[in-house]
Amino acid sequence: MIEKKMDNTVPWDEWIRALDDPKYTPGKPEALSDLWVIDVSYANMAGAYASSILSEFGANVIKIEPPTGDPARTFTPFGITHKGEGLGYLNEGRNKYHITLNLNTKEGKEIFKKLAKKVDVIIESFKPGVMDELGIGYRQLSVENPRLVYCAIYTYGQYGPRALCNKADVDIINQVMSGVTYVTGEYVKDPNNPKESEVPTKEGNWMGWYAGGAWAAFAILTALIWRDKSGEGQFIDVSPAEALGRCINYALTNYQFYEDNVERVGNLDAGVFCYTYFRCKDGYCFLSGFADPNWSLLCEIIERPDLRDKYPTVFERLNFENQKAAYKEIEKWTIDKTYNEIFEIVMEANRKAKESGKGGVVVPGKVVSPQEVMHTENWWIRGTFVKFEDPIYGELIIANQPWKMTKTPPRVKWLCRPVGRDNMYIYQKLLGFGAEDIKNLKEKGVI
Amino acid sequence: MGREDFVKWAEKEFDIKKVFEKPEALEGIVVIEFCTLILGPATPSYLSEFGATIIKLELPGMGDTMRSLTPWGRFPPDGAHAMGYLKESRNKYSVGIDLHHPEAKEVFKRLIKRADVFIENLRAGTLDRWGIGYRDLVEINPRLIYIANNGFGQWGPYVERPSYDAIAQSESGIAWITGFPNELPLKAGIWLADYYGALVSAVAVLAALYWRNRTGEGQYIEFSQAENMIRALDWTWIYQCLTGKGRERYGNRDVAICPSDVFVSKDKEYVAIGCATDEEFKGLCKAMGRTDLAEDPRFSTHLERLKPENQEALYPIIKEWVANTSWPEIDKLASQYGFGAEKVHCAKDMYTDPHFEVRGFKWTVDDPVSGKVVVEGIAPKLNKTPGRIKWIGRPVGVDTYYVLTKYADLTWKEIRELEEKGVIGSKWKDMPGRRPPKTWDGQSGIVYP
Repeated sequence: MIEKKMDNTVPWDEWIRALDDPKYTPGKPEALSDLWVIDVSYANMAGAYASSILSEFGANVIKIEPPTGDPARTFTPFGITHKGEGLGYLNEGRNKYHITLNLNTKEGKEIFKKLAKKVDVIIESFKPGVMDELGIGYRQLSVENPRLVYCAIYTYGQYGPRALCNKADVDIINQVMSGVTYVTGEYVKDPNNPKESEVPTKEGNWMGWYAGGAWAAFAILTALIWRDKSGEGQFIDVSPAEALGRCINYALTNYQFYEDNVERVGNLDAGVFCYTYFRCKDGYCFLSGFADPNWSLLCEIIERPDLRDKYPTVFERLNFENQKAAYKEIEKWTIDKTYNEIFEIVMEANRKAKESGKGGVVVPGKVVSPQEVMHTENWWIRGTFVKFEDPIYGELIIANQPWKMTKTPPRVKWLCRPVGRDNMYIYQKLLGFGAEDIKNLKEKGVI
Repeated sequence: MGREDFVKWAEKEFDIKKVFEKPEALEGIVVIEFCTLILGPATPSYLSEFGATIIKLELPGMGDTMRSLTPWGRFPPDGAHAMGYLKESRNKYSVGIDLHHPEAKEVFKRLIKRADVFIENLRAGTLDRWGIGYRDLVEINPRLIYIANNGFGQWGPYVERPSYDAIAQSESGIAWITGFPNELPLKAGIWLADYYGALVSAVAVLAALYWRNRTGEGQYIEFSQAENMIRALDWTWIYQCLTGKGRERYGNRDVAICPSDVFVSKDKEYVAIGCATDEEFKGLCKAMGRTDLAEDPRFSTHLERLKPENQEALYPIIKEWVANTSWPEIDKLASQYGFGAEKVHCAKDMYTDPHFEVRGFKWTVDDPVSGKVVVEGIAPKLNKTPGRIKWIGRPVGVDTYYVLTKYADLTWKEIRELEEKGVIGSKWKDMPGRRPPKTWDGQSGIVYP
């Protein structure tokens, strides 16, 4: 592998694969292996995802739950559980130690303080000031541990006019508050007869929480890099609503200049056409053709030069009424072809356009169901999916991380742990509690 | 009292007026960007907010394709840059350079010597073919963190496939599960797989920087936006693996949290209601005047509520309550009883709500080229090293002389000669999205010469 390192005769894909294919991960170091993290987030998958990311990069993450368990363990489709766990949390328990601690007891708080002295990062998702009121918030903990990076996650944030509104942080709340839901969904086609589905629509997954978790991980790592330089920890405030909202294209700028909202346009796009999903014989396909040469090639492929003449520049193509009209015309071509036929025709046309020097690229794509995604060979070859065998939860299919890294690749070591399963190990290792101490704490309801 | 005191403390700690008095976490980190559109460019944008220096390399004259992307083809009134571009090019320097040219490659290598991070979003292997890929650059700078963002990664059966945001959404399955049963799968109304993809890519850059602080070693990172969306689909894969069923579209209902749906209120607002805990559900029941529901064995615990037949029984009750209650009332009750309730926010809601302004989510930049422009601000707040926006998208190549003087050790004369040969370019094409606004004096904001 190493001797092949600078050999420019090996094709690029082979060369890089020899360095970053996940199958070579075992034995490589981990980027964050010297970090200790407490995740005391509660009923919040943004917190869970943030600590998953850190744990996948090698951080030692201690998930602290109340003795009754984190309600996030019950977030599961249709109430289905697997060995007692909800499927959402089962997916984000990865590599974490799971201990219990009752923060509402005096002893529990004392133990939390002791743990907090020993860790680098704390992630929590209580309402603003709850931890502070308990005497275990950033203001108190940073006195004894000034290197502490403390990340608080809450829809309305830790300050601002709505911070004390007391409303709950739930994924759907983050999604609708981000501005993303407003612009997602079918537009009303017939105002006299609107369909129930023609409404603002949330992303199917926990997108608000995942965006929140990713921003939290980003902020924590940024703070750790600063700590390397300054020796100082700090306080971080992440709102998952703003985290997803950061992705709303140009909505605020557009409002500033034109005092209107960019309204929802279904699968069309206010800023790009052609760039959308069409019905085809066996499902849905994506086709693009935005810049003039690409649009021109698309019109050629579907044998509709009239469309090119009718909508010659992006300005004609971006007009919403024109988009709707052109969409219908293009769909006439896609509707009686299978996706594979469309793919072949388009790729062949791209090749010819390149060879002839005329240029233009039309990009095809398939709208794939998750069932088909999970059975797509490409993702298995790349290690995107793995069959993971966990000693407690058995063999399950999980999605791996989206990063392949040559030196410190991320990885999954275990999938999840039952409530309190690591009490003995962690309390003994970090605080020196023996079996009897653990028993006593359990009897007192502290853990 | 205690919580109010904390929030007051936090408000002072995060005071947006003090941001520029504080240090920047990533100051000194130099990032070279050779990217177009969003998936590539947004990664350095995020890093720039926390102080990284971003040098954006663009084709002279035309620059990034993103400079054309603006809703309905409407540019800001004074003819400034496209709205999508203005926002995402915050805090960046623009250098016009044509990397096809051998002399440009030499300039590029000089920049790489001084860089900490290089990011590109071309098709797999493109720069390798040009002789300036990772194998070449790692020899010049072994501390370099090289990250490549694209659709399907650098190897594997799909490696030749081009990608866009909409393709990552469609090929990962997220479009399939978004929308209503028996209706079309939906792509997000934003470039989700791009913006969110770029974010998760930036996370890996930071982890690699952390590692480099300990070892001095750089590395190569390959990032696929489709794989990133696959990772974000929460319980999908375990569910399919255990049940053999496929995940489908369930409209606005979250089938893994109950209740969680969007309803229409008496005053015709779209209102989301969500309860993540039994406690919050009890609060909702109180607000609805239906404490009996919290006691009902079908609804008293979350796992029971989630059963399909129980969801079917519960939702009509909530729907009716919301339909007969105005949004301000629901809002008040949600605060009183601690459940989740929020109306679907449009841009106006976010633009006019002081909450977002105080928090720096709505950020007004007073830009030397474009004037006062409002953009989506900083997502995470850090009290000691807060993020900030210094300027927004700039004309193509406007920083060429400054950057090449400072970071590539070229003299003014050498740069001018390269410009005459067309290797580099500090001037923009006179077309929409490229030319600066008419109001610009042609000098403000230019660092050198």
